Amino acid sequence: MTRRRTGQVALMLAGLLAWAVQFTVIYGATSTLCGLDRADATLLGTGAVQAVILITTFAAFLAAAAALSWSLRTQRRMSGQAAPADRFMTQAGALIGGLSLIAILWQGLPALILPACA
Amino acid sequence: MNLPERPGAFSPQEPDRPNPLPRPDGEFEALEKAWKAPRGLSFITAVNNTYVGLWYVATAFLFFILAGILALIMRAQLAAPESDLVGHDLYNQLFTMHGTVMMFLFAVPAVEAASVYLLPNMQAARDLPFPRLSAYAFWAYFVGGLVFFGTIFFGLSPDGGWFMYPPLTGSKYSPAENADWWLLGIGFIEISAIAGAIEIIVGVMKTRAVGMSLDKLPVYSWAMLVFAVMIVIGFPAIILGTLLLEMERAFDWPFFIAERGGDPLLWQHLFWFFGHPEVYIIFLPATGMVSMIVPAMAQTPLVGYRLVVLALIATGFLSFGLWVHHMFATGLPKMSLSFFSAASTAVAVPSGIQVFAWIATIASGRMKLTTPSLFVIGFLFIFTLGGLTGVMVAMAPFDWQAHDSYFVVAHLHYVLIGGMVFPLFAAFYYWVPVASKRALSERLGRWVFGLMFLGVNVTFLPMHVTGLIGMPRRVYTYPVGMGWDALNLVSTVGAFMIAAGVAVFLVDLARNFRFAGEDNAGNVWNAGTLEWLPNGNYATRSIPAVVSRDPLWDQPNLPKDVEDGRYYLPGTATGGREALVTSPFDATPQYILQIPGPGWQPVLAALFTAAFFLLLTVKLVMLSVVCGVLAVGCVIWWLWETDPGPVRPPAHIGGGIVVPVYVTGPMNHSWWAMIVLMVVYGMVFTCLIFSYLFLWLVNPGAWPPRGVDLPERLWPVASAMLYLASAALIAMASRILRGDDRRSPRSVPILIAAALLLVSGASATDLWAQWRTGLSPSTHAYGAAVYAIVSLQIFFVLTTLVMGLYTIARWLAGRLDSIRRTTFDNTMLFWSYTVGQGLVGLAVVHGFPRLIGGL
Repeated sequence: MTRRRTGQVALMLAGLLAWAVQFTVIYGATSTLCGLDRADATLLGTGAVQAVILITTFAAFLAAAAALSWSLRTQRRMSGQAAPADRFMTQAGALIGGLSLIAILWQGLPALILPACA
Repeated sequence: MNLPERPGAFSPQEPDRPNPLPRPDGEFEALEKAWKAPRGLSFITAVNNTYVGLWYVATAFLFFILAGILALIMRAQLAAPESDLVGHDLYNQLFTMHGTVMMFLFAVPAVEAASVYLLPNMQAARDLPFPRLSAYAFWAYFVGGLVFFGTIFFGLSPDGGWFMYPPLTGSKYSPAENADWWLLGIGFIEISAIAGAIEIIVGVMKTRAVGMSLDKLPVYSWAMLVFAVMIVIGFPAIILGTLLLEMERAFDWPFFIAERGGDPLLWQHLFWFFGHPEVYIIFLPATGMVSMIVPAMAQTPLVGYRLVVLALIATGFLSFGLWVHHMFATGLPKMSLSFFSAASTAVAVPSGIQVFAWIATIASGRMKLTTPSLFVIGFLFIFTLGGLTGVMVAMAPFDWQAHDSYFVVAHLHYVLIGGMVFPLFAAFYYWVPVASKRALSERLGRWVFGLMFLGVNVTFLPMHVTGLIGMPRRVYTYPVGMGWDALNLVSTVGAFMIAAGVAVFLVDLARNFRFAGEDNAGNVWNAGTLEWLPNGNYATRSIPAVVSRDPLWDQPNLPKDVEDGRYYLPGTATGGREALVTSPFDATPQYILQIPGPGWQPVLAALFTAAFFLLLTVKLVMLSVVCGVLAVGCVIWWLWETDPGPVRPPAHIGGGIVVPVYVTGPMNHSWWAMIVLMVVYGMVFTCLIFSYLFLWLVNPGAWPPRGVDLPERLWPVASAMLYLASAALIAMASRILRGDDRRSPRSVPILIAAALLLVSGASATDLWAQWRTGLSPSTHAYGAAVYAIVSLQIFFVLTTLVMGLYTIARWLAGRLDSIRRTTFDNTMLFWSYTVGQGLVGLAVVHGFPRLIGGL
């Protein structure tokens, strides 16, 4: 598989990869901080668990939004001569990016509602 | 049968036929000869997907019936309160075996089996790229599965539930061998599933009809691709889990024993990281089948192809964020639970997308109510109900009420029967005409559907109530007067209705299924995809070029042209079995893959693999080791005939296209397989590192525990240097092997041998470093975790040793040179992985305790 193709696959899946990283980081951080009895630790003036979740969610959202934007721009730029597989992957990337934005926000929502380690 | 008219789909221009008529004399006969199946006793050595796929499907269905019989016995026991039809001990074995056999011996193998049969046909490939691997996977499963099931007749079956939670399944509370049967007995199933997954990934990506670019890939192929990737990511967790629990039981390494720093919850994490995706692992192929059946029945292309592909991929990802929803009652922080609750509800979105796509397709066409259609409608109804109760139990507060009750039993059966069994029956009725001279009976099929549909709802709908009014799952009987009597009786009646439906299906099979080589029933549904092309043992006479997702609808002359040999590779270029390898994205021809034919090697290797695991279970260690060595020997014998090199110059396949008959490097199919295999290894190792870190979190103040010293820094540094030096020598050998000079340089085997010494020395150094500190693997979970990492690395080094010696042997036999170097490349890839894993292992085992020293 050429580098270009590898990049295409990565971009097509970028939204869901961002979700996967977000999920791993927020669950890992929550488990670690709670497991070490650091429920009351703070970061940037707020609870460390909530802060990690919010920062990670924001970063993942940005990554997915960038992938979506890239896919949409590429789709617009594509000429009628573009290979069908290229066109398909760009469209799939846009759809995946859009769905991922919702999934990422949904995943980060508990930070605004629940206490850290109760 | 009332069949629909040809659909009015769009008609893109058919491509030019790449080969002229008439075809040369003897071309077709040579193709037939190359693909001829062996006769007599040797018939079991057949490796064609058409044979192995059917055996595989039949065996999976056999296990469905056997596990169903266990369910009937349980339902008979529960039909009335205080029944003494079976005792509690047997009942424990019955429900454990029912779940285990249904999940491990029926569901996953059934969908894998169907794809072994269908994928090559659907993609117009002559076979899957590693047919002997398919045969190996099947025979290991067949022999091992039957022996495993046989334990129920001797009271030796596992009895700890299909998810085998410790401490119940630890040696303290389950000292007998029943649990070992589960832990070791299904080892071969995991190997078989992973072998199949590798085959499927490479098959979908590399062996397709010309022009079948990603946007034209059948949805079923997409579903199987996602399925296979999920197996590669998910199965390693259960492999590691079973390994750790068996090491605890056999050697007293306390991974799950709380008194010595272990934690039973670690098992639950490892099990469910596999176990929940497992549900989607069997559901996605079923949705792939439905996405093929619905357009054919409605005679219109699938609505929302891109959205359905999106849904498959998204489900593949999101389903890995659900595993803790099986652990809502374990006392984890609510914040953690909420992540899994969120993902559990989110995963309903892609499932919903698919359901709406099917409904839209049905609405946009004219759906005929054939038996496959009825099963699809039944699937939509039952699965949707299961999905709705799934969203209910995804809410932690509701789950706490329903946990371990019959409500959950009802939910999971609605999901699994609706989501997998009904689509599978739809698939049987839909695709039997591809494999049989006659289609199955529509009249009997309606009876099968009616009995099964009513049976499932009569059995499981009342169970929701039974659970909500308090009946726990896994009880062998219940007292009178709990209000459960009538509901249980109704459920039992329903279970026997399902059995009656399955019995009618068997009658239908016996009456109508007649295996077809070249004279199958044909395209009875007027479907648009390639599996309905005329075919034989060699699959299609020539490899078609396609211009749409429904080529049979859009290229009306395709079946005749393919059969006449007017498309690509209408004969055999090398005189043997071949497949045309195409590029993974655009499906342009790349090279001709020389496929190995029938042979005893995969059959014997599978028998010895199954024997290795089964004998280990009954503690016949020496005999087991002998079988293990024989299994490895058979694999080497099998591999010896592979990597044939360029046996002839590049060949014309038609249309002026000339392709080589041998390539090496990243284009080669076995390179792809090695990469996938390395992902499997990487996941096993990642799960082990997760286990190490998890156990640290359980013992944050005792990592290492008091009185245990870390080895001096010199030791890991020395070990790392040895690993790196071995990798450097292999890189040097690779450089020497480059170029067109096919004289084999003498330095290559010497470099490999030296590298073998270095890599062995590296792992021995680390083992010695730990041992000399007096660290014991059985005193505390810390020691167990450290030795687990070291042991896994030793296993990889030993495998490297075998591969390295094998590579040297090929060089000595003149089967390895700068052109014919696939074997070397595979060894080099594995070597790189082993070195990488060794370095990460050293960093974790030696670096992490120092890093957290202050915590």
